[in-house]
Amino acid sequence: MPPQRKIEVLGPGCTRCKETFRVVQHVVEQEGLDVELVKDESIERMMALGLLATPGVVIDGKVVVSGRIPKAEEVRRLLGIA
Amino acid sequence: MTTLASTATIALRPTRRRGWALTAVAFGTAVLFYTQLQRLAAFLTYDLAGLARGSRLSSAVEFFVFEVPKVLLLLTAVVFAVGVLRSFFTPERARQLLAGRREASGNVLAAIFGIATPFCSCSAVPLFIGFVTAGIPLGVTFSFLISAPMVNEVALVLLFGLFGWRVAALYLGTGLAIAIVAGWVIGRLKLERHVEPWVWQVQSGSGTPAAQKTWTDRLTDGRAAIREIVGKVWLYVVIGIAVGAGIHGYVPTNFMASFMGRDAWWAVPLAVLLGVPMYSNAAGIIPVVQALLGKGAALGTVLAFMMSVIALSLPEMIILRKVLRPALIATFVAVVAAGILAVGYLFNAVM
Repeated sequence: MPPQRKIEVLGPGCTRCKETFRVVQHVVEQEGLDVELVKDESIERMMALGLLATPGVVIDGKVVVSGRIPKAEEVRRLLGIA
Repeated sequence: MTTLASTATIALRPTRRRGWALTAVAFGTAVLFYTQLQRLAAFLTYDLAGLARGSRLSSAVEFFVFEVPKVLLLLTAVVFAVGVLRSFFTPERARQLLAGRREASGNVLAAIFGIATPFCSCSAVPLFIGFVTAGIPLGVTFSFLISAPMVNEVALVLLFGLFGWRVAALYLGTGLAIAIVAGWVIGRLKLERHVEPWVWQVQSGSGTPAAQKTWTDRLTDGRAAIREIVGKVWLYVVIGIAVGAGIHGYVPTNFMASFMGRDAWWAVPLAVLLGVPMYSNAAGIIPVVQALLGKGAALGTVLAFMMSVIALSLPEMIILRKVLRPALIATFVAVVAAGILAVGYLFNAVM
């Protein structure tokens, strides 16, 4: 069995970040995905990943969205479920 | 340019072509509508609604019916164009290009990138830390942080639509100048010790390079910008123009001259003081201010008011307090406010 995937939504807790988390959470629930979904508001994590613009979405440690709110279909594509 | 050309060709597959065609048709229709607006507004006011020419009510109604679609159309077009333009810039790229720059040229570049880079004030903290830990001088970082909100595309459109290109250009030029000079001054003051010490300890990664965008992605970015920005400000624009229309029709000419005219020395500082606590409602304020200008308020005072509304916002300062000590925040506000005051007095004196 492959290791469980991890999705992180990074942002200091502004409305755009909350909206991004909602979009990702919606996709995860709708698709019934077995992933670890976390919302990380720490500056340290953003800096470690070199993320300068929030909100950011990180899949398995890789920044895939930065500085904007992704759409649900984009999140599906990024997760490999088109 | 070769990479651009090839991505454009790849993007022009049949389904993509429809997107371009739709964009072109929408643009053409908008242009046609825009050129006929004056007539349409007159028709709606005098023929359809049957209002008498020259009355207060009809002049207010005509103003509203003409300005609302005009400003919203301009706003949509510019926000789209800016959204597409910004898809070429990212904060990560700006950081890369600014790292290792010397101060003076760094301030100029940072101010320009500040305008071009998509940025929201909630990103101020990660951006600030990412910049200073990458070795970008404090003053250069501030030039970026000042110009990003100061030269605002919504404000630019409203100024262009309601005051003409000269005032829009003045706003753009002086906004850039304030960002450059204020950042440079902050750099000269050697305030590094007023940055919270933990900031310098943060381990900063270099960041993953973003995937190459196609033209389809860029058009999508433009449309997303319309949804996000026009979707948020349209109501303020309509309300602002409604209030402006009321002033236009009902407030006597030269009413404002006594307290917002160029002869009142205290008008500029007062405008700045009033502007600081107001936040992101530039969209609603500009139409009001335009109507006031028609009643004798001075341009410099009006520009100063607008800039302080946009550039010096309380919420952003509270966010920045996490990384900056009060002394540095106070200096930042004082330097930017001084720049805005100078612009206000300059335009009252010259124009």
